[in-house]
Amino acid sequence: MDDVLRFANSTPVWLFAGIVVAIVIFQALIFIRIASQTAPNIGMTKDETKRALRTGFISSLGPSFGIAVVIISLIAVLGGPFTLMRIGIIGSAATELTAAGIGANAYGVELNSPNFGLEAFTTVVWTMCLGGTGWLIFTALATKSLGKVEKKIVSTNAKMMTIVSTAAMLGAFAYLASQQMVKGYSETVAAIAAGVSMMVILTFAKKREIRWLQEWALGISLVIALTISYLTTLI
Amino acid sequence: MSVPTKAGVTEAKFEVRETTMSMQGFHGKADFWGQTTLWMLIVMSLVPPIYFSFILGYHPGWGAIAGGLIGYAAFIGIMWFLEPITYYPVLGKSGTYIAFLTGNIANMCLPCSAAAQESIGAEPGTKKAEVAGTLGIAVASLTNIVIIIAVVLSGSYILTIIPQSVQNALQFILPAIYGGVLGQFALKKPLYGLVAFVIGMAVLFAPIFSLIKIVLCVAITIIVVLFIEKSKSGVPE
Repeated sequence: MDDVLRFANSTPVWLFAGIVVAIVIFQALIFIRIASQTAPNIGMTKDETKRALRTGFISSLGPSFGIAVVIISLIAVLGGPFTLMRIGIIGSAATELTAAGIGANAYGVELNSPNFGLEAFTTVVWTMCLGGTGWLIFTALATKSLGKVEKKIVSTNAKMMTIVSTAAMLGAFAYLASQQMVKGYSETVAAIAAGVSMMVILTFAKKREIRWLQEWALGISLVIALTISYLTTLI
Repeated sequence: MSVPTKAGVTEAKFEVRETTMSMQGFHGKADFWGQTTLWMLIVMSLVPPIYFSFILGYHPGWGAIAGGLIGYAAFIGIMWFLEPITYYPVLGKSGTYIAFLTGNIANMCLPCSAAAQESIGAEPGTKKAEVAGTLGIAVASLTNIVIIIAVVLSGSYILTIIPQSVQNALQFILPAIYGGVLGQFALKKPLYGLVAFVIGMAVLFAPIFSLIKIVLCVAITIIVVLFIEKSKSGVPE
C-alpha cells in the first residue's frame, strides 16, 4: 500500500495531472474569449458580458467548496495527482471511488486492503481513466450533430427552444431536488430554504432593479439554506 | 463601440464583424476548440494507465483491465450517452463542450449557467442565453479547478482552516443548489415548476432503473409542458 502511494505521488504522475489541469484551464479561457467576442454581435453589452462572468464566478463558489470537501476522501485512496486529474475533469468523487472499487475487484482484491498492490492499482487507473473517457468521446463526436438537431428546431419554431430548454431544466432539477429531499429532514429544509430564498431575492432584486443582488442571488440563497439546514441538525 | 450615425447599417455591421464574431462563427469555433480540447484530454487519459502498465511494468493483464472496464460500463456507462443528450437543450453547444470536459454538470455548470443568464435577463434557449451561459460555465470551470488545485496541493490544509461547523453545513450543499435552481425556474413558470416537481417525485418512487430516472423525468416534463403549451395556444384568447 505504501508502494502504491509512492508511485501514485511520483513526479511523472504530477506532470500528467499538470497537463490535464492545463487543458481544463486552456479550454475555459478559450471559451471565455470566443463568447466575449460574440457577445456584441448578438446584442449583449460589455456590461452584460462582465455581469455574466461575475455571476458565474460568485455562483460557482458554493458548489466548488462543496466539491473540495468531498475530494479529501479520494486523496487518501488515490494520492494527490490522481485526485487532481480525476476530479478536475468529468466524473465526481462518488463515481471515481466506485470506479476505484470496481477496478480493484476486477483484479481480485479490495481497495485499500493489505494486498492492494501496484498491479491492482494499475487496474484501478485503467478503469478510472478509460471509463471517464466515455463522456469525452461521446461529447467530442456527437455535439456537432446535436447542434444540427437544435438548429432545425429553432428554424421551425424559435419559441419552442425556450420552452424545451426551460422544461428540461425544470425536469432535471425537480428530479435532483426530490432525490435529495427524500434523504432526510435537513435535506428537505435545505432545498426548500434555497428555493424560497431564490424566489424572494430575485423578485425583490427585479422589482427594485438591484443588479448586484441578482448576481448574488444563488450565492446568498446557498448560504441561507446551509445555515438553516445546519441549525436543524443541532436541534 | 461607437458607430458613426452617417454610415449605412450594412457598413456598420461589416465593421463590427471584423473585430467580433457572429453566432455562426461562434458555433464553428466552439466545435473546433471543443473537439480539440476533448481529444487532447482523451489522449491524456491514456497516458497514466500506459505509464503504469508498460513503463513502470505493473501491467495487471488485459483480463483484469477488461473486467474493470466492463464493470464501469455496467455501473454508469449508459450515462456516457444519456447525459450529454439530456443536458444539451439547457447547455447548448458551447456549454456542452465545457461542461462535459470539466464535469460537475448538475451541481455546478448548470446552476452557474442559469445564474449568468438570469443576471442579464436572457431567455433560456436564445443566443444571448447561450453566450451568457457559456461565460458562466467557463468561469465556474476555472474557479473550480483553482480551488481543487489549492486543496490538493495544500494537502487538505485548506480544509483544516474551514471551521467544522461550515464543513458540516456543506454536506447540505447539493439539496441547496438543486432547490435554489428549481426556485429560480419555478419563479418564471410556477405551473411548470409544480408539474416538474410532481413528475420528479413520481419518477423517483417509480420502480425503474435508477440511472435513467433523471432522463425520464426530463423527457416527461418536456412532453407535458409542450402539451400544455399546445393546448393553451389552441384556445382562442
